[in-house]
Amino acid sequence: MKKRLGLVIDQERCLGCEACTVACKIENATKEHWIRVETQNAAQKDTPEGRFPDLKMSFLPRLCNHCAQPPCVDACPLEALGKREDGPVVLDQQRCDGCQACMEVCPYDAIRYNNHEEKAEKCNLCIHRIDKGLEPFCVICCEGQAMHFGDLNDNTSAVSRILDTRETFQLNPEAGTEPSLYYCSPKPPRGL
Amino acid sequence: MAERGKTSLVRTVCPAHCGIDACGILAHVNGDRVVKVEPADFPDPKHKRICLRGLSSLDITYHPDRLKYPMRRRGERGEGKFERISWGEALDTIAERFKGLADRYGWRSIGWTLGGPGAGTTKFGAYLRLASLTQSTRVSAWGYGDSALPCGSRALFGAQFPYQFLMGKFLTGKVKPEMVVVWGSNPAESQPLNMMRRIMDAKERGAHVVVIDPRFTVTASKADQYLGVRPGTDAALALGMINVIFREGLQDDGFIQRHTVGPYLGRTDTGEYVRGRDIGAEGSEEYVIWDGASDSPRVCSDVGITPLMSGTHTVKGLTCKPALQLLMDLAQEYPPERTAEITGVRTHIITRLAQRIGTANSVTFVTNMGFTRTYHGDISLRALGTVAALTGNVTATFSGGYLPAVLNWRPFLHADPDRPSYSRLGILQLYDAVISDKPYPIKAVWFSFINFLNQCAHSTKIANEIFTKLDLIVAAELFMTPTARYADILLPACSYLEFSDLIPFPYPYVQLQQKVIEPLYESRSDVDIASGLAGRLGLGEYFDKGEEGFIDLILDSGDPSMEGITRERLREGPMRLRLIPDMDQQLDIPFSTPSRKIEFYCERLREVGQALPVYLEPLEAPLKPEGKKYPLTFIQGHSRFRTHSMFANVPSLLELNPEPVVEINPRDAAERDISDNDLVTVFNDRGKTTLRTRVMEGVRPRVVNITEGWWIGQFKEGSVNHLTHDVINPVQETLYEPNMHMNDVAVEVVKADNQDSPQRPRYHLPELPQYHLPELRGRRGRR
Repeated sequence: MKKRLGLVIDQERCLGCEACTVACKIENATKEHWIRVETQNAAQKDTPEGRFPDLKMSFLPRLCNHCAQPPCVDACPLEALGKREDGPVVLDQQRCDGCQACMEVCPYDAIRYNNHEEKAEKCNLCIHRIDKGLEPFCVICCEGQAMHFGDLNDNTSAVSRILDTRETFQLNPEAGTEPSLYYCSPKPPRGL
Repeated sequence: MAERGKTSLVRTVCPAHCGIDACGILAHVNGDRVVKVEPADFPDPKHKRICLRGLSSLDITYHPDRLKYPMRRRGERGEGKFERISWGEALDTIAERFKGLADRYGWRSIGWTLGGPGAGTTKFGAYLRLASLTQSTRVSAWGYGDSALPCGSRALFGAQFPYQFLMGKFLTGKVKPEMVVVWGSNPAESQPLNMMRRIMDAKERGAHVVVIDPRFTVTASKADQYLGVRPGTDAALALGMINVIFREGLQDDGFIQRHTVGPYLGRTDTGEYVRGRDIGAEGSEEYVIWDGASDSPRVCSDVGITPLMSGTHTVKGLTCKPALQLLMDLAQEYPPERTAEITGVRTHIITRLAQRIGTANSVTFVTNMGFTRTYHGDISLRALGTVAALTGNVTATFSGGYLPAVLNWRPFLHADPDRPSYSRLGILQLYDAVISDKPYPIKAVWFSFINFLNQCAHSTKIANEIFTKLDLIVAAELFMTPTARYADILLPACSYLEFSDLIPFPYPYVQLQQKVIEPLYESRSDVDIASGLAGRLGLGEYFDKGEEGFIDLILDSGDPSMEGITRERLREGPMRLRLIPDMDQQLDIPFSTPSRKIEFYCERLREVGQALPVYLEPLEAPLKPEGKKYPLTFIQGHSRFRTHSMFANVPSLLELNPEPVVEINPRDAAERDISDNDLVTVFNDRGKTTLRTRVMEGVRPRVVNITEGWWIGQFKEGSVNHLTHDVINPVQETLYEPNMHMNDVAVEVVKADNQDSPQRPRYHLPELPQYHLPELRGRRGRR
């Protein structure tokens, strides 16, 4: 079977520390942040929901979902975006003219606009690393050990095992894009 | 070094003062430039890690604001006017001035004020050696928030740290606790950082996680139960739990009897322990136990005693009680209802938590310095440790371990065994030594790894009364920090990629911090700086082998824990300190307290009424805020974006966290007509600071939080330490060293008059922080 490389992010273990955000920016020498860590249901970063002391807070790292049906690829008039056989949705900046059509159709707001170069930019799943057998840089820098990378089509892979044993969800499944990015929800507190 | 164009890899260590962590770093070097850092491999993959600060560390090494050459002050102190001088001139000047001051006031008048060296050893050791050889003064920075924990730990366990007793086996994976109680600590964002993975692993295995903190931190967000305790009331919370534990008989009597002072009789009149001599054993200092079988007092070494740990007994006319009974009497005063009133934690939660801790097979208490930064913080730690001891959750049995001998500074100090060593002052004691010559005058201060003005209590006092009175201020720094601005001589120091060091972390590993690139500009390593000065003071022979020589000094120290550890093997990766004794050996640790037991009753504190872990109200934190001039408790959490004041000027982190904010609960904000993102002034009689608000539920009502470490100049005005006080707790002075009470400060908050300064959009990269003078009143520099 064809590979389907993807990520599983465990919100239970995500510390919201943004090491992934920083790691990605350094590794890919980007202008914008390709990974943004959202504090869920909060007006702003790092603030909980509820009323003191009955509070909860969880983090959702957001990045390209490397969809099986990527609308950005279809929207790009210059074929700067492409879906690789093994999964990654890759943006070739050389071909991009900054029309931003991809940004409009992405249901995940995962494509950034680089004002300086007037081009789009996004997560390429660290293809320069994974092609050498390494994991994406965000994964090896994850402080909470919350990010997992692997072949979603390989039943024996670590990511498949998580999908088999944990309840997972995808973002905006109704968009029909078939993301290769899965999340595990945080576990609700059990009290004492 | 690699040839240009080709990338080579060097294993080194990020030693950024994150406590018991020190991440192994793989540096990618291209030509003479480090182009990337990534986490280095570890035998135990749990230690393969890096954080957002470590990832950003190249932004420190290659920061355009690095100090590039030695400088001499030209203008007034603090004005920020300097002129470039040579290293020779800088060190000659310092040596000459030191000698002049030593002639006049003695070498003790020169204070080496060394802050957190991170995990580093040789850079700290070099200055200690110099202080020791010159018999000058070492100003210890423990009192910058970190000395109350040792104060409490010394009283209770007879050890500098409580970690090994509370969480040692958890850290080494030898226990799988049913519960993890994180008390006054936020390991998800601050030290002990490498604890968080273990906590989450334990939770995955089913452990209940409880977090006790006035702030709903990231760590709290992972808890099964969060207790939003009122700052400074932790001892009351512990006593409330102890009340329930005794009431329901959940204490571990066997453990208490074997490992604590529980059975020892204490006199109700003087508070002293009854001794053998009091019951007729001539000259005997032994502790005395009431034997249930014979219904009589016996010295504790007698065999066949059935110790009674409750009741009142009469010994030769003296009324006395076992220490456990004295503790029970105290806890009697803290039923959950009253405890709830004091601590702000709900009654049923206190009861239930005590029941859970009392009935769980194994509980690990994860703690650190944060909750001890109140006036009686040492007692808070003792109270927590007492809960652990009463329920048998102290690791009192040693089943193999590693001795981190490299933390022992002796090889550096005994450079010349015929000379006496340095004098020692705590950093809070430095204030009086400079201002009023007590206990003796300090005339010159050398700052290394410390941003004293920014980070220490009562910064206007530092600027107006300390910096104006000193004859000489020297600072070795990477940047023009708020403190560096006041230096007379300013020396450029290296970043961690530019020198070698030996790093005894993370436990139980030792790592080599290898020099990756040559020092940038004219910067020098701290060892080189100390060596350069030593040569001018006629002490060059003790420094002639440089950093590498000091590393060998530790490796060759002959300490058994270092056996088999060689520089060659360290170059390739971390090595485990030698295990002592063998893994299968089981032995009781005799605690290094006077009784050799866990002392929840500490005899020497009886005269100040603190023999038991009593609850005493905080110094300033207003427990009953109504009608108070300063009704809010001001605390300083730690931020993941900084390690103290390090990284505060790093652009890649400022992008994510652009400016200081004061966190305030919506109820307190509403009472003051304050909205989110308003500019407000936080103030008390000592000073004020102006900054934006973050109105949020994650901070307890009546408490406001500003994370520490932001530089003076990054606030609209003032800083966190314009608000703090330098009051010394004399009990801490006798136990170890007085602490700064950063989380025991009363303030009020008002909306700032001027709201029209432009609002920063989120995630906008701000200009690099500008330097401003702190607000100074009155006197100007004397010299």
